[in-house]
Amino acid sequence: MNNENEFTGADILLKALKDQEVDTIFGYPGGAVLPIYDAIFGQNFLKHVLVRQEAGAVHAAEGYARSSGKVGVLLVTSGPGVTNVVTGLTDALMDSIPIVCISGQVPSHLIGTDAFQECDTTGITRPCTKHNYLVKDVTKLSETIHEAFKIANSGRPGPVLIDIPKDVQFAKAKYIPKKDISFREHRIKAGSKSVDKNFVEELVNHIKKSDRPIFYVGGGCLNSGHQASQELIKLVNKTNIPITTTLHGLGCFPGEDKSSLGMLGMHGNYEANLAMNKCDLMINVGARFDDRVTGRLDAFSPDSIKFHIDIDQSSINKNVKVNFHTNTDITLTLKEINSFIESNNIDFSDKDYSHWWGQINEWRKKDCLHYEQGDEVIKPQHAISRLYELTKQKDTFVTTEVGQHQMWAAQYYKFSKPNRWITSGGLGTMGFGMPAAVGAQMANPDSLVIDIAGEASFLMNIQEIATAVQYKLPIKIFILNNEYMGMVRQWQELLHGSRYSESYVDALPDFKKLAESFNAVGVRAKNISELDDTINEMISIDRPVIADIWVDKKENCFPMIPSGAAHHEMLLSKYDKENPENQEKGKVLV
Amino acid sequence: MSSTSVYPTPINAFKQSKRSVLSVIVDNEPGILARIVGLFSGRGYNIEALNVTVVDVKKNLSRITIETLGEERVISQIIAQLEKLVPVHSATNLANLSESYEAEICLVKIEFENEEQDQKILNFADIYRSRTVQKRENIVVYEISGTSERINKFLDDLDTIGGIKVELVRSGPIGLGI
Repeated sequence: MNNENEFTGADILLKALKDQEVDTIFGYPGGAVLPIYDAIFGQNFLKHVLVRQEAGAVHAAEGYARSSGKVGVLLVTSGPGVTNVVTGLTDALMDSIPIVCISGQVPSHLIGTDAFQECDTTGITRPCTKHNYLVKDVTKLSETIHEAFKIANSGRPGPVLIDIPKDVQFAKAKYIPKKDISFREHRIKAGSKSVDKNFVEELVNHIKKSDRPIFYVGGGCLNSGHQASQELIKLVNKTNIPITTTLHGLGCFPGEDKSSLGMLGMHGNYEANLAMNKCDLMINVGARFDDRVTGRLDAFSPDSIKFHIDIDQSSINKNVKVNFHTNTDITLTLKEINSFIESNNIDFSDKDYSHWWGQINEWRKKDCLHYEQGDEVIKPQHAISRLYELTKQKDTFVTTEVGQHQMWAAQYYKFSKPNRWITSGGLGTMGFGMPAAVGAQMANPDSLVIDIAGEASFLMNIQEIATAVQYKLPIKIFILNNEYMGMVRQWQELLHGSRYSESYVDALPDFKKLAESFNAVGVRAKNISELDDTINEMISIDRPVIADIWVDKKENCFPMIPSGAAHHEMLLSKYDKENPENQEKGKVLV
Repeated sequence: MSSTSVYPTPINAFKQSKRSVLSVIVDNEPGILARIVGLFSGRGYNIEALNVTVVDVKKNLSRITIETLGEERVISQIIAQLEKLVPVHSATNLANLSESYEAEICLVKIEFENEEQDQKILNFADIYRSRTVQKRENIVVYEISGTSERINKFLDDLDTIGGIKVELVRSGPIGLGI
């Protein structure tokens, strides 16, 4: 029976992807996805990017999603194909990144028989996805795919996985287009659609009453879209309230603006953390009171009234109890706050918070990001500062790996627009940055994409340099090479008596030769006199470049709130000594 | 006159864990129970009892009732986490409703040795209005329902009779708000 209205599962998948306006997919073939790869072979709307290991596919999809605001899509085979993406799915779940992962599964009749390359994909990925499906009936496939995209991108975004057995990829059914699907409301979890007027009024009243207010802005602002950032800038300018952002909030508000206190938290700015500690009104916009941000909870911002805007109900009162909250989209809420202020002619000019700003400027005088650059060895902070100065005129996207270099990047690279900063925050996945740069460059072919890396993280997904070369993606890998797992070494120095157990990376490759062997370009800066030239050379080459920057091996990342300490107990430099009682408590924390 | 305890009381004892019964309406689809159980184990919550049944065949809905222990803040967090699961329609803490009813069913098989024990068992069964399901020479099976507390009490009372053998199964509490 050949019905021309019927298509194979593999064709339905491609039709659905086209319908969802997907033009790029990251993947790696294998036995259980061959029918899908066959369908990909015969079409031209979808660009498939062949990664070198599935972990690369999932991080690339994350980088693509973060830098474009669209859903990132990847395709992997059954068994090891899918277990290799578990880290990336968890990463996307923690950092609220919308991705859809299509995985092949052994044929339905073999499920449960320990077949070759079989694993319990939905079982393994259940706790690390927002939702997942095993599609056993091809007639359900269209609807499942469209629902998956909707769920990935609604409310608090996250990863969704669709497991498709091989026989379902061959079986035939009608295709149901996206426009004909009526989504079931309760499954989409899009948050409240109407703004809580009472919340808005209370907030404006509290702003008027407060003497020491602060905005605390997180990645939720990013996920709400560019307009959220516009409304935020408007509100900050109108009220003259200082603003600090989390690691993921960087770029939601221009980093060089006078109202910006920079990043807060464990390696955040002194003025930002002190202001959080002493404020009397905290306005949390899409941040989740993460432990890297709050420090010791019982001493976290003890005197403030707390407002919390977050589309995820479970983020409210989870770690920190707040006084007022709303579960509505940030753009909608900020818009309503701005229009409430306008329509009621509320004037904040008498509230210039001059006393508060005076106090903040006193803290700023500590110059917490100060470092001493000598004439020889490159300080890692200086390398980032120079990278920023030499690239800030371009539309630059920065990804990172995880560790000291990541914190220095957050501290010394300033972002003025959202979605330009792509980093693994919640999960802290070493090996994230380079494949994420591949994804970001695919989404933004004309932009400069730099992975700020450490040599240890870079080695974790080094194979993806081949992907960048194959697709002519001119990503730059800017390695702050100190031959240590720097952050591990720093903690060992602070908490474990400088016993550097296994944190020295011996037998490193020659990164320049390594680049050349991949047909990429390698450049190197060994000392301060070579730094600017090396950066400029790196930028000027229209090919993938690995820049091996030799930095001070023993430099530590400051300021720092050690685990178990409170915001006002920051260490500003290696000369600051930690309260020994906190040190003991902190040792058992992460 | 109040006396001081010879042992210090741990501060945590004041953070009383409260028993709560949660009622969750879900789409009846594969994996839903695993999602819920996984949420509890993954986030370190307790499940004291669990009951799952389809309640609406046409709409394909199941009701899952979970008895759990935790501080109020933890319970609110559990509810928020449950409601984030895609197939979950609603999650309700029955204790937060102005009016709700709770019941549990228990089947008890009792093996006894002598008439004195038989009499005592009969007496308790009568007090608790339990229904005799089956009675043989030295074995009796009762069905008792009501709140979990009532069933606990019945079992405690049975326990006072020495020398009998008890085997039982409990449904876990189920409940409904009005």
